[in-house]
Amino acid sequence: MIYILTTFINALNFMVPILLASIGEILTERSGIVNIGIEGILNLSAFTSAVAAFTTGNPFLGFVVGIATGALLGLVHGVLSTYLRGDQIIIGIGVNIVSYSIGVLGLIALWKQHGASPRIPSLPLISISEGLSISLLALVSPILAIAVWWFLTKTDIGLKIRACGEDPRAAEAMGIKVFRMQVMATVLGAMLSGVAGSYLVLGIVSQFVRGIAAGRGFIALANVAFSGWNPLIAILGAYIFGFLDALAISLQIAIGAIALAYPLRMIPYIGTLAIVSMFRWRARAPRYLGKPYIKE
Amino acid sequence: MRLRLAIARIEELATIAIELSLSLIVGFGLSLIILTLFNYPALECISTMLTAGFTDINYLLNRATPLVATGIAFAIPMLAGLFNIGSEGQLYIGTLTALVIAWFTANPVLALLGGVGAGAGVGAFIGFLKAYRDVNEVVTSIMVNWILYYFTIFTLTYYLFDPAIPHQSVPVPPSARLSVINLGIGSVGIAFVIVTLSAIAAHVILYRSALGYAIRVVGYSLKTAVYAGIDPRKIQLVAMTLGGAFAGLGGALYLQGYIHAVDVTMSAIFGLGFTGIGVALLGRANPLGIVLASIFVSGLAIGGQIMELQTGAPPEVADIILGLVITALAVPYAYRTIVAMVRIRMRLARL
Repeated sequence: MIYILTTFINALNFMVPILLASIGEILTERSGIVNIGIEGILNLSAFTSAVAAFTTGNPFLGFVVGIATGALLGLVHGVLSTYLRGDQIIIGIGVNIVSYSIGVLGLIALWKQHGASPRIPSLPLISISEGLSISLLALVSPILAIAVWWFLTKTDIGLKIRACGEDPRAAEAMGIKVFRMQVMATVLGAMLSGVAGSYLVLGIVSQFVRGIAAGRGFIALANVAFSGWNPLIAILGAYIFGFLDALAISLQIAIGAIALAYPLRMIPYIGTLAIVSMFRWRARAPRYLGKPYIKE
Repeated sequence: MRLRLAIARIEELATIAIELSLSLIVGFGLSLIILTLFNYPALECISTMLTAGFTDINYLLNRATPLVATGIAFAIPMLAGLFNIGSEGQLYIGTLTALVIAWFTANPVLALLGGVGAGAGVGAFIGFLKAYRDVNEVVTSIMVNWILYYFTIFTLTYYLFDPAIPHQSVPVPPSARLSVINLGIGSVGIAFVIVTLSAIAAHVILYRSALGYAIRVVGYSLKTAVYAGIDPRKIQLVAMTLGGAFAGLGGALYLQGYIHAVDVTMSAIFGLGFTGIGVALLGRANPLGIVLASIFVSGLAIGGQIMELQTGAPPEVADIILGLVITALAVPYAYRTIVAMVRIRMRLARL
């Protein structure tokens, strides 16, 4: 019983990075830009925020640096995808490889470690009971999701962003600066992924681990499609995917057999695969998603 | 007329050469900055990487073998408009299947075919989900990679470990290994010969067959394909299956031809699929270009290991460079604009 309760509450903590990355990606994709580099943003911002928090001892400063890292990678992705007409998927693949490897290089260069950094000062948690606590971001991130939903559907600028994703030519004719809008949406989305990456270090693990994102960026991408590009449904999706993460850990503790550790670690990925191939909200992708808009 | 065509062809090749060299310059230039930021002797690192890996030709070709295969594994689906990021997992399962079959039958051909089949099966699974269930192939690929990563480690650790060396898998029996053949001027691994022949076969399929034509039409435009009477779904499925088959082939060949056993952390084969993406892009998705690109990239990787011994910088530096080059290769338009601007300048200067 206690395991079950722990799992449901722990799932809130694991929901956070997936939810933040998902709503960031929804914001970006609604403008017509696909950023599969969010896995890389998670890895790199986790690394930079770990370095910042480690050297200054201040986890909040770590967050600021992590968000700035996300913004920088988002700016690169946005500019290359719009003004320079790059292939969005290829850019994302490149960013993922570079970010992962910079993390590994940094671990060795700064801490002389191949697997994990020393302890990083982390954020205070809200304690619920003995050994059970949740992060403040578990409460904040759903509010952020609602804010993104409101921003996209109820504000003028949100409408403009969606217009760029649906029909950039018409948007341009209406006087919207499509490229500028897309770059902005990509930077904002990447900043949310930057928060997610920092949270992995400063909120969950309290150290930087090689390849810390462990596919969560792609699970977030799966969640984006699952949610039908709706930040509100993304909360539900992120909780389900976070639950799979928490379930894998609870089962490992409950069963205790070391031999089963590897099969249990497959749970989040098998679950994600099953969910995206079986369930789908009745919604379609933004019409111009991923297609380069070439100005005449 | 013929002269015109020849000139156009030369101009096209020149543009490609400019694109590739500018991308490489961007990749190496930015890595110099990153290395300096981390306090490594950047110039020494890069110059070691560019030279040290190319001295032992046989070793170079052995290391290039799986990259040729994973490069093609990315290139074929890419020409059909799909991104096969799953070559990483397809290579794992190809290696594992080849190892199991080799261990039980000691038959090199069966092991090789098993590896190809296992990779193809995974490719077909991803392709099926994309074509018939409209699930993004990038997402499925990554999920499948992680599942197969843990599956392979689990199997190696608990069922296939070598009692004498517990951190290693059982070895491929000598009779199932692919040795070297003597070509008169020198000897070369059979695995490299097989992969080169497969690359030629891939080239023929892609550019000289009806199937290859259909693949390229689907990649160019789904609508055009439908008008031309091609079923894009079937072609997507076939392209992903072919891609998976190549990745599986790469794993089997590397195992039987060179490493003969896998360490239980899979460090010997980890990353070969992802590196194949860079190889495919550097080789312009052309199988013969991919053979050259994989030799270059494996030279970088070997140079990276030698660099680690000399400077302490980890071999992942090679991955950073490759990732930067991939990103730089994604924006050919930027280089074309630069070339066009230079041309206009030159013309203006002549006036």
